[in-house]
Amino acid sequence: MKFRYAMVCSSNQNRSMEAHCLLKKQGFDVSSYGTGTHVKLPGPSLREPNVYEFGTPYKHMFDDLRRKDPELYKRNGILPMLKRNLSVKLAPQRWQDNAADGYFDIVFTFEEKVFDMVLEDLHNRDQVLLKSVLVINLEVKDNHEEAAVGARLALDLCEQIEAVESWEDSVDDILICFENKHRRKLLYSISFY
Amino acid sequence: MVGIMNPVSREKLASLSNSVKFATDLGPKLELCRQLKRDLLEEDAAALSEFLSHIFDLYSDPSGPVRKLATEIIGEIGVKHLEFVPEIAPFLITVLEDATPAVARQSISCSIDLFRHTLEKTAIQGLHSSELDSDLESSWSWMLKLKEKIYSIAFQPGSGGVKLVALKFVEAVILLYTPNPNGSSEPPPNEGTPIEFNISWLHGRHPFLNVGDLSIEASQRLVLLLDQLRFPTVKSLTTSVIVVLINSLSAIAKKRPAYYGRILPVLLSLDPPSFVIKEVHVYGANNALKNALLSCLQCSHPSAAPWRDRLLGALKDMEAGGLAEVALNQVHKVNGSVEDEKDHSSVIKEEKPMTKACDAAGSNVGRKRSGTEDSSGLAETGDVSGKRVRSTPSVSEESTKELNRNTSMSQGDISSAQSTTRKVDVDTGPVQQLVAMFGALVAQGEKAVGSLGILISSISADLLAEVVMANMRNLPPTHSHTDADDELLEDMCIVGSNTQAKYPPSFLVDVVSLSSTFPPIAALLNSQQSVPNEIVKTEVGEEVDVMAGPNSTVAYAGMAHEAENALLPGMEKIDVPTPSDIQDVGNLESGIPGLDSSFHYDGLSDAQAASSLVSTDLEDTSQEQGTSFGGKSPLHVLPSISIERSEELSPKAAVNDSSGVVSSTATSVVSSHPFVLPKMSAPVVNLSDDQKDDVQKLAYIRIIEAYKQIAVAGGSQVRSSLLAYLGVELPSELDLHKLLRDHILSDYINHEGHELTLRVLYRLFGEAEEESDFFSCTTAASAYETFLLAVAETLRDTFPPSDKSLSKLLGEAPCLPKSVLNLLECLCSPGISEKAEESQSGDRVTQGLSTVWSLILLRPPIRDVCLKIALQSAVHHLEEVRMKAIRLVANKLYPLPSISQQIEDFAREMLLSAVNIDAAEITDAEGLIIESHKQDSELEKPSHEHQSVSSTGKDISAIFHQSETSQSGSSPSVPEAQRCMSLYFALCTKKHSLFGQIFIVYSSASKAVKQAIHRHIPILVRTMGLSSDLLEIISDPPTGSENLLMQVLQTLTEGTVPSAELIFTIKKLFDSKLKDVEILVPVLPFLPGDEVLLLFPYLVNLPLDKFQAALTRLLQGSSQSGPVLSPAEVLIAIHGIDPERDGIPLKKVTDACNACFEQRHIFTQQILAKVLNQLVEQIPLPLLFMRTVLQAIGAFPGLVGFIMEILSRLVSKQIWKYPKLWVGFLKCAFLTKPQSFSVLLQLPPPQLENALNRTAALKAPLVAHASQENIRTSLPRSVLAVLGLSPESQPSSQVQTSQAHTGDTNNSEKDAVAEISKESSGAS
Repeated sequence: MKFRYAMVCSSNQNRSMEAHCLLKKQGFDVSSYGTGTHVKLPGPSLREPNVYEFGTPYKHMFDDLRRKDPELYKRNGILPMLKRNLSVKLAPQRWQDNAADGYFDIVFTFEEKVFDMVLEDLHNRDQVLLKSVLVINLEVKDNHEEAAVGARLALDLCEQIEAVESWEDSVDDILICFENKHRRKLLYSISFY
Repeated sequence: MVGIMNPVSREKLASLSNSVKFATDLGPKLELCRQLKRDLLEEDAAALSEFLSHIFDLYSDPSGPVRKLATEIIGEIGVKHLEFVPEIAPFLITVLEDATPAVARQSISCSIDLFRHTLEKTAIQGLHSSELDSDLESSWSWMLKLKEKIYSIAFQPGSGGVKLVALKFVEAVILLYTPNPNGSSEPPPNEGTPIEFNISWLHGRHPFLNVGDLSIEASQRLVLLLDQLRFPTVKSLTTSVIVVLINSLSAIAKKRPAYYGRILPVLLSLDPPSFVIKEVHVYGANNALKNALLSCLQCSHPSAAPWRDRLLGALKDMEAGGLAEVALNQVHKVNGSVEDEKDHSSVIKEEKPMTKACDAAGSNVGRKRSGTEDSSGLAETGDVSGKRVRSTPSVSEESTKELNRNTSMSQGDISSAQSTTRKVDVDTGPVQQLVAMFGALVAQGEKAVGSLGILISSISADLLAEVVMANMRNLPPTHSHTDADDELLEDMCIVGSNTQAKYPPSFLVDVVSLSSTFPPIAALLNSQQSVPNEIVKTEVGEEVDVMAGPNSTVAYAGMAHEAENALLPGMEKIDVPTPSDIQDVGNLESGIPGLDSSFHYDGLSDAQAASSLVSTDLEDTSQEQGTSFGGKSPLHVLPSISIERSEELSPKAAVNDSSGVVSSTATSVVSSHPFVLPKMSAPVVNLSDDQKDDVQKLAYIRIIEAYKQIAVAGGSQVRSSLLAYLGVELPSELDLHKLLRDHILSDYINHEGHELTLRVLYRLFGEAEEESDFFSCTTAASAYETFLLAVAETLRDTFPPSDKSLSKLLGEAPCLPKSVLNLLECLCSPGISEKAEESQSGDRVTQGLSTVWSLILLRPPIRDVCLKIALQSAVHHLEEVRMKAIRLVANKLYPLPSISQQIEDFAREMLLSAVNIDAAEITDAEGLIIESHKQDSELEKPSHEHQSVSSTGKDISAIFHQSETSQSGSSPSVPEAQRCMSLYFALCTKKHSLFGQIFIVYSSASKAVKQAIHRHIPILVRTMGLSSDLLEIISDPPTGSENLLMQVLQTLTEGTVPSAELIFTIKKLFDSKLKDVEILVPVLPFLPGDEVLLLFPYLVNLPLDKFQAALTRLLQGSSQSGPVLSPAEVLIAIHGIDPERDGIPLKKVTDACNACFEQRHIFTQQILAKVLNQLVEQIPLPLLFMRTVLQAIGAFPGLVGFIMEILSRLVSKQIWKYPKLWVGFLKCAFLTKPQSFSVLLQLPPPQLENALNRTAALKAPLVAHASQENIRTSLPRSVLAVLGLSPESQPSSQVQTSQAHTGDTNNSEKDAVAEISKESSGAS
């Protein structure tokens, strides 16, 4: 695998983890992040979300929610999701704090807001390496089903990108091809490390 | 250590680099390279200098990754040891040409690092001494060469991926060459301090680095960059290049605000749709541009300020208005241009959500509005808003003033800037000259664009800025003013509203945010200031109208906020005011939002009157008000707005009931209260979350209570929408949901529960479906489910089964989650869940099924699931349930073409399962095979998603089976078989061709299944009647299904005349395939007599009971045509059978005879006589003739006379020639003695003798009889001789011959006698 991939959504729980899980299974060098300030999970009501800090292990969340209301969290799919997540990595990570993780070649975001935040963050870093990074936004609705669809699309796109010598020369073609094939709009930008 | 290479490490490095060279596999090679890199970087300069060439060698490697890594190593060595630059730079230049883009990019990437360090070192060394060492100088010159090379890549057309990095390199160099305004302008005191290099350290005292020159070069490069984005060059670029360019330029603009004025015009004039050829990626570039502009907007540098408006405009065009507003607010905050900045910033956190709310409302309106463009379209919500707008001409005037005041604030900045420029241009003549030069060039128009560009690029940014500023003075003041105004008007109008007033968004944002922050003031002010506030209404009115206008629900948003805002303080002060309390509270009363007021004055007058009242007041006071507000900070104006909103909304809350009184009281209040505004202090009370919850909850309870009372007032549509919205929108919604639910369910019908429920559901559904974050989606979905389920359960439990509410609710709800379907399933198949609901009556099942039916019709997406439920119910173990469901499925659902196949498949599967379970259980008592078989059959189901429904059913049926079988051995019981098959039978009546399957199944079915089938058949066949399909099935029945066929035929012929076709089919079947005459039995009465006679041997051959049945049919015949055969014909036919010829055992024939004789009421004496009469004439005589005679005597002794006649005829027919009959004859004679004596005496003497010899017992009575005088005389002598009554003896020879003659038949005769005697004993 030539490139390093990052999957980014807001809480590093659903969409990015779904994609992370899938790509990891396919042998990609992949990480995942969230751009939010906290990790928010649905609670018993809109007013009472379960809020965790980034870095809180998924296992911890899992145990916490299972203790609180196993029935509810099983029904709305949170517990299964956490279970999946804890098999992928230890804890949710925040994009803005990932400088130590080295540079990525391709960054996938799943929401335009997240896309903008990633770009803004990249622009605010010292761009001294002149190492280009492709940031692609694939709009995915934040629910379990769509996340699964989105992950498959992301995988498809990653395979396309992986297949070329350097994405810088063919990114437009790849993306246009992808858009025509899946009828999904993509947004992309190029930034530098 | 310096200068002396450690021999060990040297050796090690050499071997390492060699092994790299000779490694063949890429993986290990790269790994070695990395190790080499680590080792090398630890080495000192001297060691490296020796070694550098080895690494250059590495670059000759054929594989790209190795070359890339080699380049990286060299680059890092260079950064660490700048003295190698003269060697490394040429190397990097060659690498730039590398065929592999990644390697070339690596070269650029190394170059920028190297360049930065070299520049830094050169600069700093130059600061400290006027002479630079020559090494550094040559390094620097090499770096310049490298830079030029990369420039050429950046600006040459094409070259894709490398170009991206090269452009980035240009950006980096521009940033390096220009002073950083935020950086330190002095170099760090000691060299080691890690501080970002800033070119302004140089201050022009460097030997060969000239700040001015560098700046000019940066400018030129920037121009080149900008040129790329200019038309038409931009058309030839790929999207990725454009994106990089935009990003780079915005970064430069942000970091070097001096260039702002040069970069922004280019960015602003970019119109992505017009230049991106591959249209699909317009939005990619668009997005980059948007982000770039946004980031420029956030720039706080003074030189950015003049661009703000244009940026805003451009962003608005790009539909990023909301973000722009936020950004602008931040700018305002930074610049401190708004007076109330402190207050402002204190609420800035709250501002965001509020702005969002506005945006949401705005966009919502925009969407809804497209249909109803003009104000007349608003009529729907009442004329209120429209009227108000029309009746307040002062509005625009007022607003202009406001606007002026507002713009003057921003102009403040400009004027201060102007004052500085004025100072400047006193000092600097050149600026004025430049202005003149620009003027001349501009006057030349298009053709001067080029030279204008050159001019711009050749002067420094600061100077250019001064020129621009100086030029400001030349602009006509009015023009600039109106220009700005126009722009503001155009750009900042939030929505195309009906009023002409348009407001800067920032102002509106302020308004909204402040009103939300100061509800207490609002509340208190309301009573004293309501009329003056009307002015402000026009401002907020715009917003409120827009929100309230086209879409009433949007208005409720405002309403909701309002209720929230205003209720809080009020409630805090007076515990929990009930409606009556409010009256006592006096002034505060009007602070409790409009809702209350409208509640009180409900229905008193009409809203239009109110608004006209208000507007008159408005006109009167507006003028004065406008001036009095002119000089004040927005803060003073703002509090009133929230009140206004509440007042505005109150009439809307009950559209028909008006709050005219409210406004009129308000006006009267005004007259008695003077202004006390400035003295007001805001009693802000901070509530804890819990308190807020409580307050909101209590408020909601009151609202619900109020709804119960005003239910009679009408207008429920609007109100229930409002209630639903409130219930969902307010936070801590779980409790409110419950309250709302309780309200709905407390009186479902009177509270318009259905409508209200639907509104709540739609709102929740909308929220769940909305493109929002994960957790609110999920929460809303779960709230939706809970709500719907609770209502559905209550409807089920409280309403009579005949009620249609549940069906209606499920039919109209936006979607049905699984739990609701489960509920339905339990309803349709009682006992499916663990909960014992045996009490459920059949009516509930009907209710459930009819609901399912309507769902199938109304909701195609869940048709499959619903169908499963119905089908499940159709194989329910309770017959009552099953029959209901079958009726639904067969009569209503099966005719629907879209699902008929599915129903058919299911029914067939169940049918087969009944048979196969049976088969499987014979082989495997554990029933494991059943499971696997079921899974197989499951495959044909179209969707696996809903498998649960059917599979649960299956499990149940499997369990059922097992319990059944444990009781009754290895086959399912009859009821179980019926359970599985009823549906199929029902379908057969709809589609006769399905019936064939039953025939196929039948042969392999167990006894119980067969029994079940037989039980069904009569009803089934009778319902079906005879169709062509059925005929076809009959014409070719599978082997093994004969019994079934028989039953079908019997049913078909029962009570009716079978059609000719049927008879034909059956006959054909009999002739061709099925030789069993039995199948003909049902139609026998309808066959012609002669055909039947032909068949007769076969009939006789049937088992006795069947023959008897056939006999009955034959004799009864059909109602129309009468008997097919008369009894006499039957008997004759029986006698006509020749056992040998027809291959029928004699026994069968005799049985048949016996059967006839048993029916004495049919086979009467007369008939027998007739038959015998006919038989005796036959030649040869029928085999059984004598036997029948004997039986006739036995049955009817009265026939003796007739029999004697027969016997004598037999004598004349020489009966003795038929040995078998002869025996019978004798027996008969014996039995009928003494009447038979006369017949015996008619026998010729030899036969007589034979007879007497055979039956010795006859002799004595016969002799006695013959001895009578009158008889004796009539007898010939020969006879007498035989009787021994004459002395003459017979010649012995003659006797001998006759003996011999009869002797050979003797044995057989004996047999026959024995046989007959046996027969007769059996018959009697």
